[in-house]
Amino acid sequence: MSNQLIIRGCLERARFTLDLDLSIDLNEPLGIMGATGAGKTTLLRIIAGLEPDFTGSVAFCGQVWRDGMIDRVPTHQRGLGVAFQDSRLLPGRTVENNLNFAIQRAPAVDSRLDYVTLVEALDLQHLLRESVDSLSGGERQRVALARALLARPQLLLLDEPVYANDNAHRQQVIAHLGDWMSADGTPFIYVSHVAAEVAQLTRQLLILDQGAVQALGETNALLEVRNVVLGTEPPSLAAVVVAADRHSRTATLQFTHIDDAVCALSQGERVVVCRDASDGSRLDASLQPKSDEDQR
Amino acid sequence: MPDDWQAVWLTAMLAGVTTLLLFPISSPLAWWLARSDSKGRSLVEAVVAMPLVLPPTVLGFYLLVMLNPESFVGGLWLNIMGESLTFSFSGLVIASVIYSLPFMVQPLHATFRAVPEPVLEAAATLGASPRDQWLNVVLPLAKRGYLTGGVLTFAHTVGEFGVVLMMGGNIPGETRVLSIAIYEHVETLNYQAAHSLALGLMCFSFLSLWLVYRYAGHRFEVVR
Repeated sequence: MSNQLIIRGCLERARFTLDLDLSIDLNEPLGIMGATGAGKTTLLRIIAGLEPDFTGSVAFCGQVWRDGMIDRVPTHQRGLGVAFQDSRLLPGRTVENNLNFAIQRAPAVDSRLDYVTLVEALDLQHLLRESVDSLSGGERQRVALARALLARPQLLLLDEPVYANDNAHRQQVIAHLGDWMSADGTPFIYVSHVAAEVAQLTRQLLILDQGAVQALGETNALLEVRNVVLGTEPPSLAAVVVAADRHSRTATLQFTHIDDAVCALSQGERVVVCRDASDGSRLDASLQPKSDEDQR
Repeated sequence: MPDDWQAVWLTAMLAGVTTLLLFPISSPLAWWLARSDSKGRSLVEAVVAMPLVLPPTVLGFYLLVMLNPESFVGGLWLNIMGESLTFSFSGLVIASVIYSLPFMVQPLHATFRAVPEPVLEAAATLGASPRDQWLNVVLPLAKRGYLTGGVLTFAHTVGEFGVVLMMGGNIPGETRVLSIAIYEHVETLNYQAAHSLALGLMCFSFLSLWLVYRYAGHRFEVVR
């Protein structure tokens, strides 16, 4: 079954305008990275139908969710599970009550994820009778994650779901999440600032910068470009990563427009070696770090 | 004294019916005031709060003008229900609902404003329809506001005098409520009877307020 997610349109914000033209097959899990304020959370909110000012279209699995300014499918009928960055638990209630809220509204579908497994794996058993108001930030995030999973979603949106947890819990949750998702097959989008988490959980990666799509490509290749070729900064190029090679420390990017490539080549601090320029609508280029070039 | 017990019963009935009617009337109004960005909101807020500052006799006078059998509303009521709205229990209920409206709307407004929008968004993503969100997220969070609004409305209606006198007069069993009975006892120099009723009302008012502060905590704030 195709899990094609299509988002086209724009949303104006005080600091940026989110301008999107995306068509992504979510049969492979998608990671989203970008600096703070790049539009990552806003993109998830658009998918969830929580941005009434978004003008454009959103469709998933061939079903149009939003068309222009009208929600064809309202948020509560989209079959989502969302783990918000700030948890958003129902205040004044117990952990158990929050989880039951999701279970009571979940569709009756088979899932390998059952209540007991989730509660144990996310280390929540001892908290079930506690009020969510008394939990720490990390505990609240784990409850929010469990709640999103128990909603039996057809699309799972995870917005930095473990950032408030300590290292041990982070690794534990990420490991479980990877196992569950590959076994369950639920399409999901994972937003994070941590490259290792994104690499572990996703196969394709979208990098946003001030509301614009900076790069979209295979996760490992894109992270190679980011970490190996360009240092720790994401590439400031509107390009799709075709391949990256750790040994030669080069990456091949495919630019949608020749102008973007020329602009990137002239403005970039690092040496960029063009290998092949073709018909003007596409340019394959290879990047190398400047320091290496200087040493040669 | 049997007349006084009748007045107590009538007052409790009037306050009870008014409070019960104001729950469904005030809920959507307070929700709209708490969530709307409409330019007309402040206008509606001002109209709702009018009874707080208007002399009860002024409100009573205009209600008398609007609801008497010669008026459109009063005439329509007379034709349908076969009784006049003025100097009747039904008329008193309508007057009390208008007079006590801010005492229900304002606590609900404050409590609805405190319901976090992000929590409602989370509920929506979990499959809760707007109605489901209202019943299972908003109402549990707003129960203190409902308790406060209910107690204040009931107590305020019990203490009504000016509006009742203008709209209902002093008909035993129909419009003679506690405050009117006390006034009549004082007029006839029956201070003993007036004292019994007044002391009872004072105790009741104190208990009502204690209940509000005890169970609704200090979160209650009148939104003006």
